[in-house]
Amino acid sequence: MSQYTLSVNGQSHSVDVTSDTPLLWVLRDSLGLTGTKYGCGIGECGACTVHLDGVPKRACQTPVSEVGHAAVTTIEGLDPTGKHPLQQAWCELDVPQCGYCQAGQLMTAAALLKRTPHPTDADIDRTMAGNLCRCNSYVRIRAGIKRGAELAAGVAHAQGGQS
Amino acid sequence: MKRSVDSPSRLVDRRAFIKVSALTGGGLLVGTYLRFGPSAAFAEALPAAADTFTPNAFISIAPTGAVSIIAPNSEMGQGIKTGLPMIVAEELDVPWEQVTVVQGDLNPAYGRQFSVGSGSTTGNFTPLRHAGATARAMLVAAAADTWGVPATECTTEKGAVVHVASKRRATYGELATKAAALTPPANAPLKDAKDFKLLGTRVPGVDNKKIVIGAPLFGIDVKLPGMLYATYTKCPVFGGTVVSANIDEIKTRPGVRDAFVLDGIEGLTPGIAIVADSTWNAFSAGESLKVKWNEGAVASQSSVEMAKQAEQLAKSAPPAALPAGAKVVEAAYHYPFLAHATLEPQNCTALFKNGVMEMWTPTQIPASGQSLVTRGLGLAAKDVVVHITRLGGGFGRRGSNEYSLEAAAIAKKLEGTPVKLMWKREDDFAHDNYRSNGWHYFSAGVDASGKVVALHDAFVKMQGGPGDMSADGFPFIAVPGSGVKSSKLPPGIPTGYWRAPGDNGNVWATQCFVDELAHAAGREPLAFTLDLIAATPSGGERGFDPAKMLTVLNLATKKAGWGTPRPRGEGQGFAITHTNNAYIAIVADVAVTREGELTIKKLTGVVDAGTIINMSAAEAQVQGAMLDGISAAWFQKITIEHGAAAQANFSDYRMLRMNQVPPVVDVEFIKSSAPPTGLGEPGLPAAAPALCNAIFAATGVRVRTLPIFDASLKWS
Repeated sequence: MSQYTLSVNGQSHSVDVTSDTPLLWVLRDSLGLTGTKYGCGIGECGACTVHLDGVPKRACQTPVSEVGHAAVTTIEGLDPTGKHPLQQAWCELDVPQCGYCQAGQLMTAAALLKRTPHPTDADIDRTMAGNLCRCNSYVRIRAGIKRGAELAAGVAHAQGGQS
Repeated sequence: MKRSVDSPSRLVDRRAFIKVSALTGGGLLVGTYLRFGPSAAFAEALPAAADTFTPNAFISIAPTGAVSIIAPNSEMGQGIKTGLPMIVAEELDVPWEQVTVVQGDLNPAYGRQFSVGSGSTTGNFTPLRHAGATARAMLVAAAADTWGVPATECTTEKGAVVHVASKRRATYGELATKAAALTPPANAPLKDAKDFKLLGTRVPGVDNKKIVIGAPLFGIDVKLPGMLYATYTKCPVFGGTVVSANIDEIKTRPGVRDAFVLDGIEGLTPGIAIVADSTWNAFSAGESLKVKWNEGAVASQSSVEMAKQAEQLAKSAPPAALPAGAKVVEAAYHYPFLAHATLEPQNCTALFKNGVMEMWTPTQIPASGQSLVTRGLGLAAKDVVVHITRLGGGFGRRGSNEYSLEAAAIAKKLEGTPVKLMWKREDDFAHDNYRSNGWHYFSAGVDASGKVVALHDAFVKMQGGPGDMSADGFPFIAVPGSGVKSSKLPPGIPTGYWRAPGDNGNVWATQCFVDELAHAAGREPLAFTLDLIAATPSGGERGFDPAKMLTVLNLATKKAGWGTPRPRGEGQGFAITHTNNAYIAIVADVAVTREGELTIKKLTGVVDAGTIINMSAAEAQVQGAMLDGISAAWFQKITIEHGAAAQANFSDYRMLRMNQVPPVVDVEFIKSSAPPTGLGEPGLPAAAPALCNAIFAATGVRVRTLPIFDASLKWS
């Protein structure tokens, strides 16, 4: 067992775990942040996607010993009030079916929008291909990303108008 | 609907008794029973107060006007946690915005609480309408009595009773206390379907907000104070038992608190439990597990051997002779075992304390979990409490509840300590109740005019489980004298309910063969099929309505532009199904390169599912089910080698991904005031045959063995 200090959603946490423990289980079991989901444990399904310094990573493939000083953002930290444009779009378009994959979908999509505010269908297909949805809610995930981009542009526009 | 309520229930049942006892005992257990995780309340319960109006087990109206409605069934993505309370709210005549939905625990007062066979809505539609209507009638009676006017002069709107003549209005909250003192009427009138305001509209899922902020909802998210984490390892070969294991060594692994063999428990597959202080430490210790198994007889079974046996069985049961002079059309179709692969692996949290087993379990049939634990562990049903969590997918997998028994058996050994059993993804693939494999050996006769004069099928599947084939459905009922001879392979590989049991494979085979028959008859497939449907008598064992089928097929093909000439390498195919009493036609548009690379360009589905409860969920179910059917047919198979599943994870059991999803998945519902049919499953069966028929139209390649991925689609 070793001591690690992690920055998760802007807060510092100390955990005492074995060095090979994936970030996924540190988040879920040690920190009680259960929004990040276990789906496959081999980086195939994307349900455990979190951001490390803003870059989407598979938490099941990231040993705690490799996190270092990176800022970890989980679904609980995306916007705890649910006001992120993608969260709003997901609710508006009723995207989730069972909902189990959606934290991972949202984290991957949020990183996409940050990098590419107006993604094309090809951008969405390429970026989202790593996130499985067993309910096959893909049609609405696609629509949700486009709606989220619209909402984000609207927010950016409004803020631009005020400044 | 906007919030979870965490006050205890006043319902006089075991669950309420426990919670109330806990409260009066000093509140210590309130956290244990009602609050999980650091960020949000997990459990939900109806508000309890003496002046609250609770006309039945489903509804609670507080003097503040807050309306709570129980969602009795398990939410697994089919939208039932939203849809069933909508039915109550419609008859109660209360604005949806005022409603808080509360997930019900297992409770006999809730009636049909199992979510299988697309039956939650069909089975609960009428009882829940009555629940809402009864409450509404009592509120009307309370208002009429208050105002001294006949109840017949009072109406309701938006959560209030109105007396138009005297312009008086009282909210349900204002009437709650008075209504609570009244006796429920026996036959409260139901609304006319044309007066529905809420049903048929698009209502987002009640848990969406929690899902998008990552709040705990699922079985895997349950966290109790002092909880330990467990894995359970079973023999990879089905039916195998434990001879010995390095238990003492496992107990020395980091974080491991206990390890033991479980055997001799009714209904439980023997195995080794490892209990640790974290999921990862339990998983890690499992990597060091060395077990001597007694593999048993199933070790001799393999998919290769089964194929040989199936052919033998089919040959030993030859179909009736075909009429003389008819053109003979024969084809053999095969579909493989499928895993459910719910994205949330199987799990259950259990606590055995003071003689009571309390479980938090993602289950489609909570009562079967309760009875499995009752029998296996020798407990009384009243001492087995089942809390229904949200399910990270179901698809028929979570009816069997063996993971609930495993968790309970482990928790019983650790009395007083809550334990969360977590299956690894690999455990889930290795120990599913698979969709049975199946073989169809068709033979048919087509006469000189292109009419089908005989249709026979020698069918083979695993013994046990659903999915048997009979001649009671289309197209067999369209051809007089047709027949199905069904044979079974020896048991051993566990099979079970997989979304649209039976139809999920059999409709693929029969609908592809109908397309073959059209070509053999020299006829255009749509005209051929329309004639076949029109010739089908209505009724029969499945209550087939040819007119409804003609309507959905005509509309789907019209919408998809059926018959428009296409270049080689592009094609359209269609298929139909009558599943859970819904009628669905699907058209697939595909393109296939000369090298055989498949792209699905569009899917068009038209559905007659009777009354639609929630249009948003209905559309999502059909879109999702169509793509689920495509995903399974294109990529998926479980292969049995040496009595065990050869596929272990999503790397070798592939699923449809975003870049393979067609840009358009169009779904339209026929307007109907008929009672609702099932809708979680019917969208699935016709998708794969529509796709395979489109592939044939594009390439001339007839896919008769699934998955499509294993076939070469090259053309020149």
